[in-house]
Amino acid sequence: MTQSRSHASPHLSQQPRPMGLFADYDVGGDRFFDEVFGTDGSTREHYRVLVDRLRSLTPQDLDRRQAIRDRIFRTQGITFTVYDGGERDEGIERTFPMDLLPRIIPADEWTHIEAGVAQRVTALNRFLEDLYMGEQAAVNDRVVPRWLVHTADGFRREAFGIPVPHAARCLVSGVDLVRDVDGVYRVLEDNLRNPSGISYVLENRAAMTRVLPLVFSRQRVRPVDHYGPMLLRALREVAPPAAGEHPTAVVLTPGIYNSAYFEHAFLARQMGIELVEGRDLVVDEHVVYMRTTRGLERVDVIYRRIDDDFLDPVVFRPDSALGVPGLLSAARAGNVTIANALGNGVADDKAVYAFVPDLIRYYLGEDPVLPNVDTYLLWEADQRAAVLDRLDELVVKPVAASGGYGMLIGPHADDEELARFRTRIEADPRAYIAQEVVSLSRHPTLVDHSFEGRHVDLRPFAISGESVEVIPGGLTRVALRRGSLVVNSSQGGGSKDTWVLDGHATGDG
Amino acid sequence: MLARLAENLFWAGRYVERAEDTARMVDVTYHTLLESPASEVGGSWAQLLDVLHLRTAYGQRPLAPAEVLAFLVLDRDNTGSITSSIVRARENARSVRELISSELWESVNDLHLDLGSRDLRRELTDQPYELFKTIRRACLTIYGVASETMPRDDGWRFMALGRVLERAEMTCRLIDIRYQHLEDLAGPSRRLVGANAERPRGADRTDFHHWIAVLKSASAFEAYRRRYRSSMDPADVVEFLLLEPDLPRSVVFCLSSAMHQLQVLSRGRPSRAVRALGRVTASLQYRDVGELFDLGLHDFLDTVQARVADVAEAVADEFFRHHPVGSMHAIATA
Repeated sequence: MTQSRSHASPHLSQQPRPMGLFADYDVGGDRFFDEVFGTDGSTREHYRVLVDRLRSLTPQDLDRRQAIRDRIFRTQGITFTVYDGGERDEGIERTFPMDLLPRIIPADEWTHIEAGVAQRVTALNRFLEDLYMGEQAAVNDRVVPRWLVHTADGFRREAFGIPVPHAARCLVSGVDLVRDVDGVYRVLEDNLRNPSGISYVLENRAAMTRVLPLVFSRQRVRPVDHYGPMLLRALREVAPPAAGEHPTAVVLTPGIYNSAYFEHAFLARQMGIELVEGRDLVVDEHVVYMRTTRGLERVDVIYRRIDDDFLDPVVFRPDSALGVPGLLSAARAGNVTIANALGNGVADDKAVYAFVPDLIRYYLGEDPVLPNVDTYLLWEADQRAAVLDRLDELVVKPVAASGGYGMLIGPHADDEELARFRTRIEADPRAYIAQEVVSLSRHPTLVDHSFEGRHVDLRPFAISGESVEVIPGGLTRVALRRGSLVVNSSQGGGSKDTWVLDGHATGDG
Repeated sequence: MLARLAENLFWAGRYVERAEDTARMVDVTYHTLLESPASEVGGSWAQLLDVLHLRTAYGQRPLAPAEVLAFLVLDRDNTGSITSSIVRARENARSVRELISSELWESVNDLHLDLGSRDLRRELTDQPYELFKTIRRACLTIYGVASETMPRDDGWRFMALGRVLERAEMTCRLIDIRYQHLEDLAGPSRRLVGANAERPRGADRTDFHHWIAVLKSASAFEAYRRRYRSSMDPADVVEFLLLEPDLPRSVVFCLSSAMHQLQVLSRGRPSRAVRALGRVTASLQYRDVGELFDLGLHDFLDTVQARVADVAEAVADEFFRHHPVGSMHAIATA
């Protein structure tokens, strides 16, 4: 099977659609790509084992399993924190809803995704290294406009001259993919700063093996639990050369009230390394130490989950108590490696995103495996005019935001909102991009005792050390509200366990 | 290990123990009062608040059982309440999740969730005994899970150290509640027990019942019976709870267990914490209980608590406090 036809191939079998739980299921016709069923209602082959199994379950069985899952997540405290500005300002801990029906990706389709993600991350690492440590060749050769780079929110002059071994500047990256109406995977955005969600990938899997063990035993699903050791290996690979054979790596967290604290603790536990806060670290003579019960211990690599601006109050925000005074001087002296590297935000700026396919061609001399979503640059007068003409058909996003905040979804917006965005775009065209609406693919999702189609995306995670590796699967996020295209957890999204099938196994072997 | 995490584990140990012991003390007070004359009730609750050092925090509220119970069990603004202790134990455990076993985290979190989902106010009115039993049992489960799932590393030792230091203090308080009551009944002039006691050993019948309750609340009643076989005697009970080297809740037992943890943590260095702990242990170990009564048991118990607090302070200085940068080369190479 060749790569080119794999990602769009429907993998249809002749199985009729099962009745029961799926009796009223709407496959969406030609409006959406359905991950499980073809437009004629037939089950895609890689879902056959699962759908057969579900056919033997009643809605009560599903409820019971969902209850088991909820209990597992709740007693283990697998939560993220949402802030509503309430009295105590402690935030509310919520469990991240995980749907019982997993998303399944066949082996050949995964090969395609994996190649595309690795290619993209490799080019982005090259770009960042070129920008902060090299000659800025891509800028000099006008692949990306110089002014665009310098006006990006995530661009940090302070990062010039801070080395990262192997140029692995994006030690962990999350590349958000969506599937369009033809089933083609497209890149929606890159997350190169502190992408989160990997803990849910691992916890979802652990929960699914307990809730639906039988389905697992009938097909070969590629494991994900080597993530911890893999991340630790990469962290050690980027240690400063002087660190010796056993470098000390730590995870740096803002603390227990951070929304992703669960993940920070989870990763530290998976790797068996210390989870530190800024106040646990101290810099002396450009060397970083952590305060232990037996005195100070030298630290070589910091996997930080704190944003650039809070890392070092000497250089950035002086009011920040989260960071470590002097940390950047230690990094610049080559005594500690900070991962992900400082200043990565310049490359996941949503306007720079539009240039990533060109960067892939420039640095690697290859065509991009995964296409972007069609994107319009609003400082170009003709593109801007065209966008403003059909604003009610497009999506507009602020270039530096994340978490799905501050977006305009044209088809769902009222006149007032459209007018507001029109004014904003005209005032500061650099601050926004516009994209064609992608009719994200849908996946059956358990809603009130039956399955309904809900839009999904996919965030595969890549790890850069000496080389770039992609974890099989990733986080499938689900827009839980009917018709919604917003899948972010901070906006009430859910998730699905994501299975990559082993290429050597067949359906029911 | 990280100083901050060691401190969090130490306090997680303390808070779970505090929740459990507070439940024990409230339980014993509540149930002995059921059989006491109404006139004693307010005074007994006041004594309990005194012993717990919570009288000021309680303020001018009426000393009615429902009020005091709500204050000691539910009140989030009372940092010494059972609920507050459990919330803090959980917060400390949550911040050291990567260090403790997931079973331990789950058992702490379970207790927190369980209390959050119950109508505690109603249970305190209807069935306080059941509630206290649930809390005590959940705390014992937490220790059991910790003991069976945690490697004996420094983290474990700091948690165990926090627990036994807290318990030593709390056992002193448990004895003190009953003893003060005994003194009040007798009046200041009369020496009830001790080397020069005026009256024959052995308490009267009501008091008998109260000392049994004290022993039970320290899970020590059966052990006491086997050890002494005689009738209930305040001096014997105090001796047992303070000085019995083999009783897990006795003060001497807790202190020698603390000494064991501290010596391992100090790696044999003679530290201020070890010395402070040695002193308070010695002040108990070779004492005759009659002597303690002659000295004034209440003052003696107060002194022991103050010295245990000194030990905790020395532990914090030695292991948890953030060393200034100037002194760090000396520390790093020590």
